[in-house]
Amino acid sequence: MTDLSTVAVGTELPALQVTFDRQRLVRYAGASGDFNPIHYSDHHARALGLAGCLAHGMLTMGVGLRVVTDWCVDPGRVRRYSVRFTKPVQVPDDDAGAVVHFTARVSAIEDAVATVAIDARCGEDKVLGAAVAEVSLA
Amino acid sequence: MPISAAHAGKTYPPTAPYEVTRGKIAEFAAALGDANPAYAAAAPVAPPTFAAVLAAEAWGALFADPELDLQLKRTIHYDQAFDFVRPLRAGDEVTASLTIDKVRLRGATAFITVSVALATTAGEPVCTAVSTLLHTWPSEDAS
Repeated sequence: MTDLSTVAVGTELPALQVTFDRQRLVRYAGASGDFNPIHYSDHHARALGLAGCLAHGMLTMGVGLRVVTDWCVDPGRVRRYSVRFTKPVQVPDDDAGAVVHFTARVSAIEDAVATVAIDARCGEDKVLGAAVAEVSLA
Repeated sequence: MPISAAHAGKTYPPTAPYEVTRGKIAEFAAALGDANPAYAAAAPVAPPTFAAVLAAEAWGALFADPELDLQLKRTIHYDQAFDFVRPLRAGDEVTASLTIDKVRLRGATAFITVSVALATTAGEPVCTAVSTLLHTWPSEDAS
């Protein structure tokens, strides 16, 4: 369990690597109620000029917060979480899927609230922009 | 006339109450691949981004308002922020109330900032979800 009393600016959180495959997209569609076909149907995605199915932005955002909640354990400590959807995760219809690497670092601490900057990459692509969570340390 | 800066400040009635359940929390956490014990505790809380499911419900008011001339399929989710007062818990009955905060038009694209206030039916605030949505109207000569 993380000892939050030792957290300092510059503290690196344990990195997280998550595979996005088609099953994950279908599960998220069902759980979230977002049935936009670009997330499960290649022919719908191609009709919009895309190479194939994309992960839901909210799925990438939701999985990205795990790098923070795996660390702080209690999700109730998260006071704020914000991202920009810079580039969607392309999810091929194969066994390998797309692997997203999440890293995070404490960038500020004020009034017992840590600001955590999250970096989310799939290959060379930065899939979330300005991803920041505020975590209560008290 | 479609949506314009004059719509900033427009509010919509709250969505019908939604009951957060243990089963839905488990399903949503599994979809994120998130094994955090808080989501399976005796009194489970929902993963923080579950709030988006309720916020998206409230977005429906935008597409149902003929004054705005907006279609979901022409809309892109540009950014998202959540301010949490407390986690959503199993047993909460929650409504979502939408406000248009800001509208900027650039050519055929509208940048629409909306905030959705989530509160229990007892009136306790839980979370505010702020989103920027990009809506693009088709060009005149497109079919």
